[in-house]
Amino acid sequence: MAAMTPFCREIRRNILMASRSSGHGHIPTSFSVVEMICAAYETLQHDPKNPQWPERDIFILSKGHAALGFYAVLAHHGYFPVEELKTFGAFQSRLGCHPDRLKVPGVEVSTGSLGHGIGVATGMALAFKIAGSPRRVVTVIGDGEANEGSVWESMMIAANLKLHNLTVMLDFNHSQVRSLQIPNPADRFKAFCCDTLEVDGHDLEALKTALAKPAETVKAVVARTVKGCGCPTLANHVFEWHRKSPKPEELEHLMKELEAA
Amino acid sequence: MRKQFKDTTSELAMKDDKVVIVLGDISHFLFMPLQEKFPTRVYNMGICENALISVAAGLSAQGFHPFVHTINPFITERCVEHIKDDLCYNQFGANIVSTGASFDYAWDGATHHCYGELAILRLLPGMEVTQPGNRQELDTLIRSQYNNGRPTYFRLSDHGHTLDVPVKFGRANILKDAGSKLTIMTAGPILGNVMEAVQDLPVNLVYFSTIKPIDREVIARFKHTRILVVHDAHGLQEAIHEVPDLSVSYHGLPDRFCVWYGTVHDIRKQIGLDPAGIRQAVQSRLAAIR
Repeated sequence: MAAMTPFCREIRRNILMASRSSGHGHIPTSFSVVEMICAAYETLQHDPKNPQWPERDIFILSKGHAALGFYAVLAHHGYFPVEELKTFGAFQSRLGCHPDRLKVPGVEVSTGSLGHGIGVATGMALAFKIAGSPRRVVTVIGDGEANEGSVWESMMIAANLKLHNLTVMLDFNHSQVRSLQIPNPADRFKAFCCDTLEVDGHDLEALKTALAKPAETVKAVVARTVKGCGCPTLANHVFEWHRKSPKPEELEHLMKELEAA
Repeated sequence: MRKQFKDTTSELAMKDDKVVIVLGDISHFLFMPLQEKFPTRVYNMGICENALISVAAGLSAQGFHPFVHTINPFITERCVEHIKDDLCYNQFGANIVSTGASFDYAWDGATHHCYGELAILRLLPGMEVTQPGNRQELDTLIRSQYNNGRPTYFRLSDHGHTLDVPVKFGRANILKDAGSKLTIMTAGPILGNVMEAVQDLPVNLVYFSTIKPIDREVIARFKHTRILVVHDAHGLQEAIHEVPDLSVSYHGLPDRFCVWYGTVHDIRKQIGLDPAGIRQAVQSRLAAIR
């Protein structure tokens, strides 16, 4: 696995602190997507000072329960103050436990229920194709989310329409070992006629290279990730930590693990 | 009404390059001429209704006015959560156009019957719900609402009524104000049977082509009367109750699957929604009031 960059470590620190101060958060899943979202925001055209810039590319977190990781990246890019992360999930906060596009600058689609963001992403990519626009769409889905039939309906549509401007990144963090696992998602995407790549989902440069690679049709990037990446306590106890906020002593321990990663 | 849907949207597509047609493998042959003219704006996307709604949301998010079209229960009841989240919650507009109202496909059995979607969709915040009664009404309502940025539902039927009602979105039509203590309220194609049943009876008659927003003002005008809702679907009765303190009864669907096959006319007769059955229900209500 690639070494964690200082920026991605800082994002994870913010996730932990926000979860501690708010009492909310899917920390392990937020940790597994950090590099994927960072890679997207370092590759796509966007302007934090003008979130509605008409020429921007689109990022959609289809697995909306990783919102805390998403918010931390948006905040560090300047979409809103990092300090605001502490309000995560609080009454009257903009930052719900799933992202709301009408509240949070930089959020393009409100997600939460699984299997929705990818279809909306497909529609946006089709819109850009119809308009002859060079804009592109990147969405992150979870491997649990890939249990949803609507994910594969969307992939069939995107492949049939050869939406080369759409990239679907799969957070392959093996969350579905507990139920309906897709043993080899790259084969599954290939069978759906996607231009398929497989990379280390914690290797920022490899992810950026994969995102930048031109495609003939919809691109699927299978990102091999670890739930709770950076903190062995999280990675080794994913069920206990699935949706849990750390106590003060736990936060201290997790921070130490993160510094050592 | 399907042909009118094609005619109206085809005309709109000629004038408005933001119109996109998304078909769920229904009416494809009908739309082939338009597809030949605008291959990038007419798609027979496949039998995957949930994704079709999401795709429509994405098209809308980027400024297009999508029409998503297939058979009623598949694009409405099957897709409720996609309509709720991807369209209503996100505030992305789209036009959902179903075909096969209530018992239009009587012969196909309950999987193809659809009479609950008006009631379901009206519960979704921001959703507009229409039930045009015939081709002219459909044309008027589509032209009025298709590009307003809100999710709008249009319910097509193969059995429109033949009356000429000047409808307007969100407004009810008072077809008969006899000063009666009994007001019949109805919506959509069943108006034909209702009118035949009550035209010589001393009742008021109010017609709705929009279920949401419901015309509260007109309902309130008849608040002092007993109201009998005659409808071959759910949704109108519930919407009427937005006006408080009404006295409403319902003549319509039984609490069972109406699996007798045959035609829509056979089913209507079986459940008392043919002209004779409606007349009997209205006369019975009139007698009770007197």
